[in-house]
Amino acid sequence: MLKKAVLTMVTLAVLCGSAWAEKTIVFATDATWPPMEFVDGSKNIVGYSIDFLTAAGKEAGFTPVFKNTAWDGIFAGLSGGRYDAISSSVSITAERQKKMDFSEPYFTVHQALIVQKASKAASLADLKGKKVGGQIGTTGYFAIKGAEGVVAKSYDEIGLAMEDLNVGRLAAVVCDDPVAANYALIKYKDTLRIATVLKTDKPEYYGFAVKKGNKEVLDLLNKGIAAVKAKGIEKELKKKWIGQ
Amino acid sequence: MAESESEKIEIGEGAAIPSPEDKGLVSAWWIALLGTVALLIALPIKDPSTYGKVLTFIPDGILVTFEVTILSISLALVIGLLTGLGRISKNRYINLAASLYVEVVRGIPLLVQLFYIYFALGRFVRVPDIVAAVIAMAFCYGAYMGEVFRAGIKSIDFGQSEAALSQGFNQAQTMRYVILPQAWRTILPPVGNEFIALLKDTSLVSILAVADILRRGREYASESFNYFETYTMIALVYLLITLILSKLISNMEHRLSYYEKR
Repeated sequence: MLKKAVLTMVTLAVLCGSAWAEKTIVFATDATWPPMEFVDGSKNIVGYSIDFLTAAGKEAGFTPVFKNTAWDGIFAGLSGGRYDAISSSVSITAERQKKMDFSEPYFTVHQALIVQKASKAASLADLKGKKVGGQIGTTGYFAIKGAEGVVAKSYDEIGLAMEDLNVGRLAAVVCDDPVAANYALIKYKDTLRIATVLKTDKPEYYGFAVKKGNKEVLDLLNKGIAAVKAKGIEKELKKKWIGQ
Repeated sequence: MAESESEKIEIGEGAAIPSPEDKGLVSAWWIALLGTVALLIALPIKDPSTYGKVLTFIPDGILVTFEVTILSISLALVIGLLTGLGRISKNRYINLAASLYVEVVRGIPLLVQLFYIYFALGRFVRVPDIVAAVIAMAFCYGAYMGEVFRAGIKSIDFGQSEAALSQGFNQAQTMRYVILPQAWRTILPPVGNEFIALLKDTSLVSILAVADILRRGREYASESFNYFETYTMIALVYLLITLILSKLISNMEHRLSYYEKR
């Protein structure tokens, strides 16, 4: 009897030990960006990047913990040390690279222009003098601001911009194509459509952001990303969340 | 003086404002004002590429903030007067309607009201963003204002009404020519406070993508990552505006209490 109890305790200690040995990485995520990261019907944070990191964690030996964080200020929280990394469909840009380090790219995105079904607009150039919305601080919003003659409106969440487009207060919305597809093909499939994908000189990639110089976390992430890609898990996830 | 104290409507909002009689140079208001102005000038000179940039980014936001504030307070005054009169009305239904409005509005946070009017009602009525913001702010502050009007009207001695009525004035004339002109004196200072409170609360409309001071600041911060510099300047700009306004209101209050001083 005593032997059995001791054995159980030893087994437990070993199990816990191995669990503790695995590094926990806290990721900030703005879970308002379906299908990449969003809150499902039972209040869990789910999505492509969540599954991607969970798989990467298994491969590289870390446990991801997700912390739902408002997008505006998400980078301030990283430099303030409130979490280890950001997993929030962050496009790798030169400006952001000055302030933080990025993992290897894990997803390729394009900026999509969403309009009402009845709209004839085929590009941002057709929307001179009209209001076009995007999420504050995103590459989509920067694209609108960069377009000549278009009135740029910034929203806290892309869903609010989509609703304003749906009721006709906006002429268009610009955001990442997987998100655009989620809204235009599923949620608002009767009222909205994707007009076009904006042409850019350089491809745009998502990366996981870490505080400048945090090599330990960055190495773990890159190891995990490489494994997820090599093992074909990426393909399964794309099929599951993006449908391609 | 003792009597006028009891009829004062106390709604504290904003900093300690020196009464114009307080001739001392050192007061919290002066320190705050000079500090704010000094920082607003010194910081951009010290670092034009960050603090200076914020200041060039937000001027149109300041205009929008004032636009929303002034339109909202005007509409809120009208709603407030009607509500205040409704609340003291002898007609049961009017009284009930006004009281119900005040109860409902005071029970719902302004932020929720803004979302409700903008996004929930937006499905049925399509109004531009600034109009939606103004309606929501006025709807909310109209109820607060209604209470101010009610208290102001009630502060006028009943003998005034009696006298007016016995002179052959009807109810409406009594209100218009006798009660309201006197009630203004007690109503205006708290209305001024509400004005400042409303101006500060307009920062909430930035969530409706209205490009006010805060929204412009956030847009700049999200591009430049200069969060500290941005929000420091935003706070200083709001502070400067409210300091100046509270001084103006305090002077106005002083002037209105002219008769009490004699």
